[in-house]
Amino acid sequence: MSAQSKKAQLLARQLFKLSLENGALAPERVTGALAYLEQHRPANPLLVLRAYQRLVAIELARSAAVVEHAGSIADTVLQSLAGSFSARYHRPITATAVANPALIAGLRVRVGDDLYEASIAGQLAALAAAV
Amino acid sequence: MSTVLDQIEQEIAKLTSQAVKKNTGNIRTIADGVAKIDGLSDVMYNEMVQFPGGAIGIALNLEEDEVGCVILGDVSQLKEGDEVSTTGKLLSVPVGRELLGRAVDALGRPIDGKGPINAKETYPVEKIAPGIIVRKSVTQPLFTGIMAIDSMIPIGRGQRELIIGDRGTGKTTITIDTIINQAKINKVGLASGDPKFRPVYSIYVAIGQKNSNVVRTIASLEAAGALEYTIIVAATASDNPANQYIAPYAGASMGEWFMENGMDALIVYDDLSKHAVAYRQISLILKRPSGREAYPGDVFYLHSRLLERAARLDGKGSLTALPIIETLAGDVSAYIPTNVISITDGQIFLETDLFNQGIRPAVSVGLSVSRVGSSAQIKVTKQVGGKLKGELAQFRELAAFAQFGSDLDAKTKSQLDRGGRIVELFKQPAYNPISIELQAATLWAMQKGYYDNLDLKQVTAAAVSLREYLATRKDALLTKIRTKAALDAEIEAELKSAVDEWKATFAA
Repeated sequence: MSAQSKKAQLLARQLFKLSLENGALAPERVTGALAYLEQHRPANPLLVLRAYQRLVAIELARSAAVVEHAGSIADTVLQSLAGSFSARYHRPITATAVANPALIAGLRVRVGDDLYEASIAGQLAALAAAV
Repeated sequence: MSTVLDQIEQEIAKLTSQAVKKNTGNIRTIADGVAKIDGLSDVMYNEMVQFPGGAIGIALNLEEDEVGCVILGDVSQLKEGDEVSTTGKLLSVPVGRELLGRAVDALGRPIDGKGPINAKETYPVEKIAPGIIVRKSVTQPLFTGIMAIDSMIPIGRGQRELIIGDRGTGKTTITIDTIINQAKINKVGLASGDPKFRPVYSIYVAIGQKNSNVVRTIASLEAAGALEYTIIVAATASDNPANQYIAPYAGASMGEWFMENGMDALIVYDDLSKHAVAYRQISLILKRPSGREAYPGDVFYLHSRLLERAARLDGKGSLTALPIIETLAGDVSAYIPTNVISITDGQIFLETDLFNQGIRPAVSVGLSVSRVGSSAQIKVTKQVGGKLKGELAQFRELAAFAQFGSDLDAKTKSQLDRGGRIVELFKQPAYNPISIELQAATLWAMQKGYYDNLDLKQVTAAAVSLREYLATRKDALLTKIRTKAALDAEIEAELKSAVDEWKATFAA
């Protein structure tokens, strides 16, 4: 990692920390951080913005449950999933549904880095790996 | 009963359809067997990470927003963006008797084409070395079958003895001889039916060696009938640095199984210089800060934690380690050699000059030492070889002065003559270890002056002839020396008459 890249990472991290309010990402603070970058343009704005975007994306993924499903899924199920994940992770989590027929049946839920596999495709893949 | 329960448990597991939780990440960059991964927020240090296509990685660098993993196995199919997941397990290798006679890779997978290994147990590759309380001091000998070593630099079970020297000085040969000697002793001991007999199983770990060298080593062991007591762990020069880094730890785990289960094992690390180089390569790619000779700061710990795993355990077995270090132009003061010298319990230094003079094994008596082995030496070796090291050291000093060609007094001349004979006596061909009883008889004959009236060039041949004579005609006497492990008046009288008989035939 070059010295320039290190400096960009450091600045991006500082901006990211300032974008949090009570441990959660605050949209108005993100706007403020972007305005700061506009006014005080760093030596390598592209690197800083890319690093900042990555950190924000990771944080957003942590508070969103992406529910992949093969068949149809009811809103009540989504709400129930959002509620149970919020309780499990001790932070508000919203659930969004994404259709994925490749799962055959069942669900696959991703919350940040965590993946919950409860699909037929997942079980078949595990079986194939075990054989 | 537990197997029945296990079967039921497996059936239950098949029926349950609970969601499986995995912690995942994505490959950000991949180069030279090292991947930088985004995500994996729950990964633990040294945890196994599953890559697509069955490749396994080990998490070595846990940074604020990325994880550095070394990949064991084929990296050619991996690409940026591939998903990886944690396993919650530490890297483990199969252990047990089932591995004896087999050649495996750094992960314990067979590479000899002899079919799968049905090992019942696995041990983690990284394990904390036994502590102070469970250890016992080294008191039992481990015979190498090399006269110069067994008589002057003895090795005990549980000891760590470094073998150090330039390239092509016979470092590997000494270790192969030692493994062959263990097999010979095992065969005799197991055939005798002695319940107190403790066989020594060997593990040879090849790190960064040429494939052809490993094949040659296996062939030598097989030819000598030693492969059945040996495990070969090979991470050759064509393997990636991660495999070369892991291989000695995998070998140590296999050796620890024998030690933990009340058996004795010997492990050879051939060699730790290449191991340090592989680790340096990984560390540099992981962007760890480099220090002297570009090695990372923890290169001492790399070897100390490995060699500390060799021990003799109270109420259990032992693991003896013979690490090898290759020096450049005989420089033992380089970084890695000094590190390993300070960790081990002594070193056998091999000199290029001696090797080129035809003195093989080319052991430098002055620079070689065994710090704990003397307490493991048996009485008979002490009786016949106790003063040899001093005499040889004196000889080397006098020989250096004698080169100036000045007039020498009679005492100096006799010392030089005797030293020359001892040097000749210690010459030994490769892959031909000598049993301890034959070593004792050879040295006893030296002590009693049986080679004194021979021409210097005849000494080696005379010693070989004496050993052949005793091995073929005086088996009972040799068994007595072996079992009593000391020379009493009765054995000495028998030995004298046997050597007199031989002398008459040899002179004729």
